[in-house]
Amino acid sequence: MADIKDKTAEELIVEKHIANLHNGFAQWPRSEEVPPALGDARWTAEMILSTWLMAENGDLPIETQRTPTGQSKGGFDLLDFKFLPESDWLEATDKIDLSIPLNRRGEGREIEIALPLYGGGMSYGSVSEQVMLARAMAAKKTGTFTCTGEGGYPDSLVPYKEHIITQVATGMFGVREETIKHAPIVEFKYAQGAKPGLGGHLLGDKATTTVAEIRESVPWVSLFSPFPFHSVYCVEDHRKHVDWIRTVNPEALVSVKVSTPTDVDMVAVGSYFAGAHIIHLDGSYGGTGAAPEIAKKNIAMPIEFAIPKVHRYLEGENVRDQVTLIASGGIRTAFDVAKAIALGADGCVLGTADLIAIGCTRCSNCERGRGCPFGLTTTDPLLSQLMPVEWGAERIANMYAAYALQLKEILRRLGLKSIGELRGRRDLLKYIGGEKGGQD
Amino acid sequence: MLLPSIENDPIPVQKGTYTRYQIHNQDAPDTEKWPSRFKVKVGKLGLAKLLFKEIWHYRGRKDVILSRPCMYGVFSGPVGGFAPREELCVGCLRCTTEFPDFVRIEHNPERRKLGDSYFTFNYVDAINAEAASGQVPVKGAGYRGEFGGEGWDGMWTDMSEIVRPTRDGIHGREFISTVVDIGYQPNFLLFDQEGQPYGPLPRSFPISLPMLFDSPPASLLTAHLGKILSRAANDIETLTVLPLEMVLQMKDYQDAIIPLVSPYEIEKLTELAFSPRMFEMESWDQALFNKLQESFPESLIALRAEIEDDHLLDYADSGVQVLHLTANYHGRSKDGRFILDLIREAHAKFVDAGIRGEVTLIGSGGMIAAEHLPKAILCGLDAVALDTALLTALQADFEGECLDRESSQFHLPSPLNEDWAVQRLKNLMSAWRDQLLEILGAMGLREVRRLRGEMGRAMFMKTLEAEAFADLEGYDG
Repeated sequence: MADIKDKTAEELIVEKHIANLHNGFAQWPRSEEVPPALGDARWTAEMILSTWLMAENGDLPIETQRTPTGQSKGGFDLLDFKFLPESDWLEATDKIDLSIPLNRRGEGREIEIALPLYGGGMSYGSVSEQVMLARAMAAKKTGTFTCTGEGGYPDSLVPYKEHIITQVATGMFGVREETIKHAPIVEFKYAQGAKPGLGGHLLGDKATTTVAEIRESVPWVSLFSPFPFHSVYCVEDHRKHVDWIRTVNPEALVSVKVSTPTDVDMVAVGSYFAGAHIIHLDGSYGGTGAAPEIAKKNIAMPIEFAIPKVHRYLEGENVRDQVTLIASGGIRTAFDVAKAIALGADGCVLGTADLIAIGCTRCSNCERGRGCPFGLTTTDPLLSQLMPVEWGAERIANMYAAYALQLKEILRRLGLKSIGELRGRRDLLKYIGGEKGGQD
Repeated sequence: MLLPSIENDPIPVQKGTYTRYQIHNQDAPDTEKWPSRFKVKVGKLGLAKLLFKEIWHYRGRKDVILSRPCMYGVFSGPVGGFAPREELCVGCLRCTTEFPDFVRIEHNPERRKLGDSYFTFNYVDAINAEAASGQVPVKGAGYRGEFGGEGWDGMWTDMSEIVRPTRDGIHGREFISTVVDIGYQPNFLLFDQEGQPYGPLPRSFPISLPMLFDSPPASLLTAHLGKILSRAANDIETLTVLPLEMVLQMKDYQDAIIPLVSPYEIEKLTELAFSPRMFEMESWDQALFNKLQESFPESLIALRAEIEDDHLLDYADSGVQVLHLTANYHGRSKDGRFILDLIREAHAKFVDAGIRGEVTLIGSGGMIAAEHLPKAILCGLDAVALDTALLTALQADFEGECLDRESSQFHLPSPLNEDWAVQRLKNLMSAWRDQLLEILGAMGLREVRRLRGEMGRAMFMKTLEAEAFADLEGYDG
């Protein structure tokens, strides 16, 4: 009891709730009952609980707990793989390569990631520094990347800089020459899927003194990332942006993050010719930050439709093998990653899945009051302690490890030895939303 | 019940000063107590055990023991979790995550009974929040609903990746106009040898936003509600359709009123003491049309017609300048088709006839969410006349399935405070207008008039899915 006497009330309160939460994250996935109010059509309760389990131990959930599809009645949820008969599967001992190159231009720095996914941008302010750090540590451990989002580059991330993408977005918050110099990859965010064409918005309550300092803004004042870049009105302007980055950091790869308008294919080709190494399509159903409800559902097309559209167009322009196509916006499982690749992407970006691994219940209260009650999307000093950094890093890395196992299993059943062989293999997919009504 | 105090327009406009169109929001909280969103179930034995355990473990340190998992006050009552205040629950699930053994959060089935099979509780919740605050609903954690679907859900609006001249009201730059013209605009003007115009001349007037109020259902035709609708319409510079019988009892806000006249009411027109900006005929009747033209030459004449009516072009040929196209409250025509497709068909008819610019098309029926407005305009309407959405903003209860104006039964709060009701309608219109600006801004459009029939900026699920999946095994369209 001595230690209890010596601790402050705040320390004890944080410890108490962390212990309770960790108990719940472990207990619910093993319970025969599902929390009645957990989940929705896109992220079902089973999918969330399955992710918690993967995050805990890095293993695939047992067969009955795997939830490769949600209940959204469309997109990835109506696609399945045409697996080979079991006799034609690869051996469990066969080596399967999940790595993908991020620079396919044949010049400049070669960067390869160990599995075909990395973490999407979540800014300091929209999430806590602890969450950013946990994601960076997980990226390093896994051999992939995470992204700063547009909120600056906390010093605590510098040790992980080889695994961090610096985002340059329209508000230019925290964008400085030194943060660009840190970056192996610089991402231009033209738009984001959760609020295409609307820009970003950090409410004043979350713009704490530390957030304001790193964003070089005024504390407690709402911050807007206006849309679009006001210096970019054409592809030629975009090219000038790329030149600016190359002047500061000639070694950096350039990623261009765009949303999914009806002409997304032409946007992608334009980005390539302006010098992008990575074209990152962010579909309309993802996103972790606050967004007007009207924007989430109604503006721009879902990623499932954008990927094949862009993939084919790039093929038609004979540049498909010179650029890396990354998809995000509603990627929930390793199955979704594999389906996106079969539709034509090279890899995927995860956002919500990372947060679910560390305890998000998708309650959508990120912007209410002090922010996330689980300490994730908040800058509240007390709440943000509810997510210990080391624990969070372990959880995210475990989830990535489980994804890797799942992807290898999918490839093994398809008779493919590398994830690259799956790209654009639409012939390996089947649509299960026809007469069978989504049942298979 | 103590009603919230709603002041009149809080920002008086002085003559000669700069003004810009704005709907003034003011909080107008619920007066009807609706069922809470969630049920909070706490096992009392489990809670008692926890308390004893923590009292012992933390040696009675009250600040630690009383630190509960809810940030929203659900356990903040005098006896905490023994009597949870479930009306405060936002469904974050932290409590059930921390205490899986004895805390359960469930969706409240009573809440899910709000509305009817078309106007489901999700729409009711959204409108209720919009009407209470005038704010655009903003939430985190991405989209939670189904992928697409029929009708409105099977359509997405476009955005423009780079060229974006407009971000009105949000970043304070250029102005996005939501003004629409109601009336007749000839395709071209004719001039005689002296240079004087002859032949048809433009006859139209502007309203400040592409939303009007449709006539209330038959069960709610009271002068009190008429006054609420006309006052709110007047405040936000739009119009409300009201039955002639009701209009004859009203003395105020006449500029905002469109009398709805039936053929059998011709004689009553003489009792009308003012000349409205527009009449609406309940159905086509040559005698009524002639009488309106003769007695009210300054007024425009609109015709209410079923959206699937085969004679829409004939009505325009007969001199009708505005067509108010209606489906039932669930957005269906008599033959069961959905209004979205029927708007496109009606719009295309006038485009093909080369007279789309000469008529105004207003639509009603099944438009119950902010996103339905830009989608309806993209498909070809000039404006919408809202119906059940307005009643929901006033916290009306639906009695069973509410399909049409004639038979549906709604129950409004009683008494219905006029100031509160007007503010709720203004808040709703403000929230919907702001969301319209979001959609227009994302497209880079500077005025809503440009949105009409801009099908290149619409994406339909059937088309996109066929493009993406047609070659996949099992795809059958």
